[in-house]
Amino acid sequence: MNILRTIVIAVLLALLAFAIFGPITNLLIWSVAETWYFPAKLPQSYGFAFWERVFRPQGNAMESLGNSVLIAVFTVIASLAVAIPAGLALGRGKLPWRSAFLLLFLLPQAFPSLAVHMNIARIFYSLGLNGTYTGVVLVHTIQGLVFSVWIATAAFSAVDRELEEAAANMGASPFTVFRTVTLPLALPGLMASAIFVFLISLDEFTGTFFVGVPDVTTMPLLLFTASMEGNYQIASITALILLVPSVGFMLFIERFLKADVLAKVGS
Amino acid sequence: MALKITNLLASAAIVLAGTSAAQAQNVLNVVSGGSENMVDYVTDYLGPLFEEQNPGWTVKVVGTGAGDAGSQTIMEKLVAQSGNDAWDTDVVVVTQLKAGEMVTDGLLQAYVGDIATGKLATRDTAKVALGTNVEGYVMPMFHSQTAIAYNPDVVANPPKSFDELKAWTAEHPGAFGYNGIKNGMSGVAFTTGWMYAYAGNADQLMNGPYDPELKANWDKALADLKAFNENVTFTPGNAGTLDMMNRGEIVMGPVWVDMFYTWQADGRLNPNLKLLLPEPGMPGQPYYYAIPAKAANAEAARKFIELATSPEVQAEGIVKRFNWYPGIDAQHVESALDKATWDKLFTDVTPADLAAKGKPFPLGPFFDDIREAYEVKVSN
Amino acid sequence: MLSRRASLILIAPAVVLLGLLFLYPLSYSLIWAFSDEELGGWGLQNFIKAWGLYSRDVLFTLIIVTLSTLIIGAVSVAIGGYLTLGENRVALAVLRTLYRWPLFIPFVVSAQLMRTFLAKNGMMNNIITSTGLMDPLAATSFLDWRGIVITFVWKQTPFVALLVAGAMAALDRSTIEAARNLGARRLRILLGIVVPQVGTTLMVGLILSYVVMMSVLSVPLMINAQTPTMITVDMAWRINAYSDYGVANALGFITYAMTAVIAWIYLRQGVREGGRPQ
Repeated sequence: MNILRTIVIAVLLALLAFAIFGPITNLLIWSVAETWYFPAKLPQSYGFAFWERVFRPQGNAMESLGNSVLIAVFTVIASLAVAIPAGLALGRGKLPWRSAFLLLFLLPQAFPSLAVHMNIARIFYSLGLNGTYTGVVLVHTIQGLVFSVWIATAAFSAVDRELEEAAANMGASPFTVFRTVTLPLALPGLMASAIFVFLISLDEFTGTFFVGVPDVTTMPLLLFTASMEGNYQIASITALILLVPSVGFMLFIERFLKADVLAKVGS
Repeated sequence: MALKITNLLASAAIVLAGTSAAQAQNVLNVVSGGSENMVDYVTDYLGPLFEEQNPGWTVKVVGTGAGDAGSQTIMEKLVAQSGNDAWDTDVVVVTQLKAGEMVTDGLLQAYVGDIATGKLATRDTAKVALGTNVEGYVMPMFHSQTAIAYNPDVVANPPKSFDELKAWTAEHPGAFGYNGIKNGMSGVAFTTGWMYAYAGNADQLMNGPYDPELKANWDKALADLKAFNENVTFTPGNAGTLDMMNRGEIVMGPVWVDMFYTWQADGRLNPNLKLLLPEPGMPGQPYYYAIPAKAANAEAARKFIELATSPEVQAEGIVKRFNWYPGIDAQHVESALDKATWDKLFTDVTPADLAAKGKPFPLGPFFDDIREAYEVKVSN
Repeated sequence: MLSRRASLILIAPAVVLLGLLFLYPLSYSLIWAFSDEELGGWGLQNFIKAWGLYSRDVLFTLIIVTLSTLIIGAVSVAIGGYLTLGENRVALAVLRTLYRWPLFIPFVVSAQLMRTFLAKNGMMNNIITSTGLMDPLAATSFLDWRGIVITFVWKQTPFVALLVAGAMAALDRSTIEAARNLGARRLRILLGIVVPQVGTTLMVGLILSYVVMMSVLSVPLMINAQTPTMITVDMAWRINAYSDYGVANALGFITYAMTAVIAWIYLRQGVREGGRPQ
């Protein structure tokens, strides 16, 4: 019985691994394929010629990558800075028209951005924000706001009220209660939202084009056109490069969570 | 820990502020529609050449993607800053349809009379873009042509005309693939070719005058196309057609010639694949160089385009390195090139073919009518 | 509990940011959507045209996205549930490292990967036929509505699973252990005890996924060669081919309405059940 169960688990995991890594293997192979066409089932020749192309000095790949990461980090900070108070109000406060507010925050993702970006750019130009890092960070923050606000709201409303009341009864000020009880308990959710916002910023294309270009260019500007027109090698390599900060940021967050938060939660 | 992070962020912020302030003074900003290799062309060849000839200048180029979608993005960016005095884009590379709209909307400036190479492009497409007069506002970067790509190992006697293609597809269902009309211009080009062949009045479609009643005669051609579609494989996009040829799922389909050569050069297509232009022909279009009306560096932009449209650069860059059909008149380019390179460009499609069967796209309003008719009568 | 006034102050920065940088520009779009170009003034002309041309696509989008959301929900609960209740240490470790990867692949690249993976002569069919499990002639392409659903599920499941697994890990284990001691089967525990407690997080994750999938352009563009197709493709088409912002914005409005209705039902539901929805 146990052996049977182990076998079932193993088969299910193998299928899952195939489903997840099958497409990713494709990406890995394309990134080093120099010729690959029918009827060959695997590339006829391998090499790093396309890596050289991506990293050629004129291509400014490293500068774009640096910009992408920097913008993503600031986007995370900006969105947490507005989403934590907003989430607190929506999750714990007596907010009038609460549902309406939540629906409002869905808008930037739910209204396909195609038709809106020109108008956003128009306003950014009139504010002098175009071509600045601040402008790009703001436009990414708007895109990420739905994630940070909704998830922060869920995280704060899941915090056990009795723990807060206990702390308040012991004479802690409201801010102390927030700092020592509410925030640490909501932190895992907030951190998850930070990861998503980071990824959204790292992959954002349209907003960056309208607001950042020509002064600020990021990695997805290269990725998007390459991928859409089927330049598989370039797109795969770019996606692989973007994996580094993405995974790195997540590991950083998890380590940070484990070390700082879990210790506090336990005590 | 927290302190460390704060420090890190503070220094990052300083870097941020520094870079935006230290933006070099002389940057020529080029925004290019079209495929990635058009961006590479400026990054790797034209940009460095311009920088070499104009010390103190840096060329910065960004790509926005193929087809009208890519050029639409550029247009929207110009519209968005139309209230400003100096625009941040100096040179744009756009499709015909969007160049026409941009001229109509006053987003471009006339410059062709001011550059030395202005008289080297005399083809119709240098003056009229899908029926809109763009004379003086644009210079063709290169001419792009659609054609049918096929695998000669599988198709020994490829169909030479739309009639033969119809018969061939009926015998080989699913072996021909194209991307409809919503998803990329190669499918639109094929549909246009079909209309030139079967809708009648092809000359009027191309040269005008516009007649809104004409579309009443298209029902038969569209019904035939719908029947033809029963036997084809639909592909997701221009790249989608090439992608299916890459895996041998289709053996024939309409493609952009320049994209086809790029895929071969990058090892994603069998080098044995060939191109042909079926009777009565398929459309092509140039990509245009243009200068936004309030470009901050208009003078440098003119110099840049002058360089880009000089016979030497057209020969060396456009034809020899990138395998594109030249934008300026062929005779100026041919004399600047060795014969072998010239002939290589016309391996599959001869200059005579190109002259006879390389058509322009239809007049703007006809073009709209064709696309809308397809939406209503063919894909529904 | 925060007072009304404090709540409004706290939410103000986010609302101001949203209002200035998104709602204000969006209002132009709404003006476009509701204006009548032929007669001048206001009208529903754009909506009538959008519906006439693309009603099938609207329905198609709704079905595709709803179906994907349901599958994502089921798979995420399964993954989160196993991570919470599973006992096999090796399997847990493998699953934990496995499930997140697609999260880091941008949509446009996911679409590209699936296009080369799911095609008729794509990698999946190549692998299956070379193991002898399937006859090469039986290979079919998944590059239609199934391809879109597969791509959405592949890309969005890790997002929901990450949220759900996090919420499950934070649960009080005592009830779970008690039920387990009473001999309850793990599936019963998962559906009867664990899922109801993480319902909020699950729903938030699913609604966010639903919203994201509604507005993705690259996936239907790169995968689905058939008609009908998704609304975003039609929007891009209206703008790029005809510069028709009116119909495009009307379609955008329809898209938002489809999202808002779902989100609103969810928010109402929570209120009716007496608790706060989140």
